Amino acid sequence: MSEAPAVTTTKEECWVPNILAFACNWCSYAGADLAGVSRLQYPPTVKILRVMCSSRVEPSFILKALKDGADGVLIAGCHIGDCHYIDGNKNAEIRINNTKKALEKLGLDKRLRLEWISASEGLRFSEVIKEFTDEIKKLGQNPVKEVKVNE
Amino acid sequence: MRRVSKTSPRSSIYNANVYGLDTKDIWTCLTCGLCPIGCPQQVDFLSFIREERAGKEPLEVAHLGVFTEFAELSSKLDGVKPEKSDSKYGYFPGCVDQLGLFLHDVKTDFGEITTSSLKLLDKLGIKPQIMNMKCCGHDVLWQGKKDVFDRLKKLNLKYIKESGIDTLITSCAECYRTFSKDYDMGIKVVHTSELLDKLGLKINADVTYHDSCRLGRHMGLYDAPRKALTANGVTVKEMEHSKENALCCGVSNFMNCNEQTKALRIARMNEAEATGAKTLITTCSKCLAHFNCLKNEKDAVKKYDMDVVDLTVYLARKLDENVKKEGPALDSSKMENI
Ligand code: FES
Repeated sequence: MSEAPAVTTTKEECWVPNILAFACNWCSYAGADLAGVSRLQYPPTVKILRVMCSSRVEPSFILKALKDGADGVLIAGCHIGDCHYIDGNKNAEIRINNTKKALEKLGLDKRLRLEWISASEGLRFSEVIKEFTDEIKKLGQNPVKEVKVNE
Repeated sequence: MRRVSKTSPRSSIYNANVYGLDTKDIWTCLTCGLCPIGCPQQVDFLSFIREERAGKEPLEVAHLGVFTEFAELSSKLDGVKPEKSDSKYGYFPGCVDQLGLFLHDVKTDFGEITTSSLKLLDKLGIKPQIMNMKCCGHDVLWQGKKDVFDRLKKLNLKYIKESGIDTLITSCAECYRTFSKDYDMGIKVVHTSELLDKLGLKINADVTYHDSCRLGRHMGLYDAPRKALTANGVTVKEMEHSKENALCCGVSNFMNCNEQTKALRIARMNEAEATGAKTLITTCSKCLAHFNCLKNEKDAVKKYDMDVVDLTVYLARKLDENVKKEGPALDSSKMENI
């Protein structure tokens, strides 16, 4: 985020969303790879974390990311029926949807997204990132407040 | 599997205060409050544990700390403003929503506690405003995260002040303890079980009652929940250990969910089963979660043919049954009886 151009811009304009993406090893991470080798462009707002399956993502990971200031969290996995571990993504869906409901109470539910992206969908990957970045831009910065240590 | 673990209050005090060691003991304590009951010197062990834990990293938090994370996240966000209402009563549902969402495999409708409580309060003529506050901070406080607790407390106190209530009703034993003992806000805090003896139901059933540590030993509320049952015609069959000697459900403030504490849960369920009653009543949503978790385990050690329900849920279900059976004539039949 620090490499924002040093032109005279206000702080608001410099702000670029900071998105954390969990991508499953077997589909979505390969999809992201394909987007890379195919030289598809997408905004540099996303930090991809490889997990073995979308069901590896615990609600507490998502909450922690948001707590520590991530503007958005994306979970990407194989399409339903394609999960390497048979029904991992079905479980993930229940979990993520429940987390979304819990986040609704805090008004953060739009910052969480679950997508199915297969290994051959490099284009889709780049589009999802573009879309999500735009959405987060509209929502603005994560409202969590900085708390000083030893406060 | 070893189902026994040794915890010595004395050695943990010695290690922490005299030798200045970092010990595991302060984290394995369940804070159920049984040691202070037996202590001839009346050492305030719970306060010691809490102070010793402050600022340190917990050893083992269940469910990967999802509830702690949620509380921390909400403590960093601004609270909402209370809705306009001139009710002097406030009802705080606690974290039943999150319990239901994050513990979906326990297969318990935690939200029913809220709807039931409101139904029963309505029957008693109390129309409270719903307090849309943050978590009361009980868990984070006992997990040593005093800073998070202080932030939550500040936000909640502001909310309570703005809402203008003078009595706060809650059906959660932990919220009840925290609001009464750790908030000092100068308004009355009431647990739903203290109000339910005037319902006037006629239930003919046997149940057994589990004293949760927060309501029982921490707050000394032993008779109110029993009275809420007996006054409505229910027979309470006491377990082998009850009131101040009641066994813990094994997990408080979402710490130490392991084989040893599971043994405690099994012991407690066995005691409940031995009373012959088919229903186990609790007044704490955590106890409810833990007993139901044991019941719904995939490869369970033992199958329990017993319903574990919250006090308010139990009474509200019976109320519904009554209304169905007797129709709206319930009130007139009561008049005749008198
Ligand atoms: S392996 Fe891709 S979602 Fe399970």
